[in-house]
Amino acid sequence: MGTFVRWIQKAMMSKKARCPEEEHWLELVRLMLDGQTTEEETSYVIDHVEGCYRCYDNYDLEKEIREAIKNKSINLKVSDALIARINNEIKA
Amino acid sequence: MFTFDFMDKSSSGYTKIEKSDIFNNEFMVHAEALYNFAYKLTHDEDESKDLLQDTCLKAFRFINSFERGTNAKAWLFRILKNSFINDYRKKSKNPGMVDYQEVETFYNSEGSEGQTQLTPDLRSETVKGMLGDEITNALNSMDVDFRTIIILCDLEGFKYDEISKILDIPIGTVRSRLHRARSILKKQLAIYAASMGYK
Repeated sequence: MGTFVRWIQKAMMSKKARCPEEEHWLELVRLMLDGQTTEEETSYVIDHVEGCYRCYDNYDLEKEIREAIKNKSINLKVSDALIARINNEIKA
Repeated sequence: MFTFDFMDKSSSGYTKIEKSDIFNNEFMVHAEALYNFAYKLTHDEDESKDLLQDTCLKAFRFINSFERGTNAKAWLFRILKNSFINDYRKKSKNPGMVDYQEVETFYNSEGSEGQTQLTPDLRSETVKGMLGDEITNALNSMDVDFRTIIILCDLEGFKYDEISKILDIPIGTVRSRLHRARSILKKQLAIYAASMGYK
């Protein structure tokens, strides 16, 4: 989404303005971010989100949480000893 | 009829060479993801190692029921999840773990939808500034069943139909459980951010 468009929206819309169907759009945003919407549904969601301050905020937050979980989670390595132990059990 | 063992594949099974090939090239490539999934379920390195080992042994034992070229990762995650529920959860060191159904009933009856789903206090910039430990703590504070579905979707990138097979629940339940889990996680992050003085 264009930064300029967002800047205009921020300047023109009250931060506290609530979307009358916020929960409905939140569900759609989540489905879209989970890759569960069709191309047509995705454009429908994006059209709304681009024009609605609250829903854009929700979209932004949902996206950020997903990225944080993906990129900031602990990633343990499997030791060679464990792989060897498993292979030995298989051979036994 | 004379046949070599490695060429003798019956209609219901793989040859030894095929088994070894599937195990090494289709199963073991997911060992790290499985190990991390196990760790996120148990929070214990030793238990995670045992859980990974059990999963691999079961996968090998039942290798004939795996159709080559299909989704090995989802198949293995399902085995691990079942092992965790059947073997590890029962003897868990954490007596506080409760059954998913109880938790879902509790959350479904808690206040209005709006209260649990929308957390206007949390900002994306705040989440961006959080450390890995803070995200992990928020995730770990959730019930294991909600945590599991978030891990499968956000961390492992499984689609709803795959999660449905792994967890043995209908797609509609995947969708509603995930929606509920995300709302709880968001709430946890908001509480955590407030307690840490994030603005």
